[in-house]
Amino acid sequence: MMENLIWGYVYPNEAEIQWSILIVLYPYITGLVAGAFIASSLYHVFGKKEIKPVARFALLTALSFLLVATMPLLTHLGRPERGIEIMFTPHVTSAMSGFGYIYSFYLIVVVLEIWLSFREDIVKNALNSRGWKELLYSALALFSYDISEKALHDDEKLAKRLAIIGIPSAAFLHGYVGFIFGGIKANPWWSTPLMPLIFLMSAIVSGIALLILLYIIAMKLRKHAIDHKCLHSLAHYLWIFLILDVTLEMLEIISMKYESLEEIEIINRLLSDKIATTFYGVQLTMGIFIPFVLLLLVGMIKNRETLKMIMISISSVFVLIGVFAMRWNVVIGGQEISKSLSGTLTYVPVFFSKEGVLPAIVILTIPFIILIVVTYILPPWKDMEEEPERNPDK
Amino acid sequence: MNGREPLLLNGEKIMQPHLKRAFTLLALVIIAFIFVRSLVVPQSFGQYGWYRGDSVNEIKNFQVEYAGSAACGEENCHKTIYSVWAKDRHKTVNCETCHGPSEEHVGNVRIMPPPANDSRDYCGLCHFKRAARPANFPQIDPETHGENLKCTYCHNPHKPWFI
Repeated sequence: MMENLIWGYVYPNEAEIQWSILIVLYPYITGLVAGAFIASSLYHVFGKKEIKPVARFALLTALSFLLVATMPLLTHLGRPERGIEIMFTPHVTSAMSGFGYIYSFYLIVVVLEIWLSFREDIVKNALNSRGWKELLYSALALFSYDISEKALHDDEKLAKRLAIIGIPSAAFLHGYVGFIFGGIKANPWWSTPLMPLIFLMSAIVSGIALLILLYIIAMKLRKHAIDHKCLHSLAHYLWIFLILDVTLEMLEIISMKYESLEEIEIINRLLSDKIATTFYGVQLTMGIFIPFVLLLLVGMIKNRETLKMIMISISSVFVLIGVFAMRWNVVIGGQEISKSLSGTLTYVPVFFSKEGVLPAIVILTIPFIILIVVTYILPPWKDMEEEPERNPDK
Repeated sequence: MNGREPLLLNGEKIMQPHLKRAFTLLALVIIAFIFVRSLVVPQSFGQYGWYRGDSVNEIKNFQVEYAGSAACGEENCHKTIYSVWAKDRHKTVNCETCHGPSEEHVGNVRIMPPPANDSRDYCGLCHFKRAARPANFPQIDPETHGENLKCTYCHNPHKPWFI
């Protein structure tokens, strides 16, 4: 059976593919965090008022996914209690050991940002409720109930500064994931300095797409009208970042093909055989081309809000699937070519196992559960449900 | 606290009290991390390199368990079987690979080493068919070869082609 999975000359220790679907999930989840945070900073830093309805919701989304970002790695490696040791004794020459610190720093920034933007609600809740609720919200308010205009103004100022720090940290958090792959010189499919940028752009794309979907779903569940201005603005940014993303991805492939270094033969085989469907079909056509056209049409069509909303939703779903395929093509594709550069291997996902599809699905479900809990404690609906349309003809 | 004017100090505004609390909490978390780290990281970490320095001595003091194949052939103990093994294909597989650690036995012949591992799976570690193995290396499909008998039923492990 194994013979069918191998073509050409491969080294013995490569026969089993070590980085499984969980390692595909890791950059995917980290990307969603970075993307959601950057979407929220469009409002917090760049003052894009039309994003306001989802700005705080985006922060909560970022937090929910950030809390599970390390989970695929820890599940893959086993012995999660040893994970902290990478922070206790980080090695200076290890890119991986920086992650613990970047992650923690980013977590602090996101938590502080959320705390500052929800503080007014927290204090009001603490003052207006009794029992365990009062205790919870008082603790969240750190037993300090000053919501005078001056205090809130100071909060806003600090929140803006934090968001300014947050953007480079989000970029760093995810660019670093790309760097880990881009820095592996033995693998021609990974080794490129463009990798951090490619990862970052696809992260932003997937984060915005997730935010759009969650926003639409939340509004449908709460039976509230969708703010189309906000939705279109998000779709617009999705479209712009989609262009940047595809430019970088194509640039890498084109320069690889044009240079035609010795690894080109195996890369061609990878692209035309091993990952042809997931690369051309899912990543490029479904994940980029179709959403690109749909979002372009959304920008051109006048009125017909329901149609546009459906088109935006389809684009977002396709983008999310496409970005997952992109992670798959990088992580799995890179391992399907042998270090000999003259043979290929095949990854066969299993369902029930520590490295299987089931734990991947479980891990991908957890952030949504966290999001439900967090939005229950800190409801962001107020800004989403403010009367969105001031001029009714729009 | 509600509505109180922020205190002035040398013309500079003092930080809002709730922010002060937040940053104190953050500082406490960082201090706690540093404190726990100082407790958990072993004293000798980094003494020679990126590992626990004491581990060098600990490993050095481990008891020797393996005597080496030469020790079996010396002193006329297992000379015959040694000379058969040393000339045949399994000469790269040391005595103790199958017969187990024998340092104690070499020191005192009354202490016997554990019985040799002659299970099918143990031979299979090298000889079950794997795609990653060179094609000319002797490999069998355990499903079809040998009717689930022990390998040593037919093969002599000291002289593998002697069936």
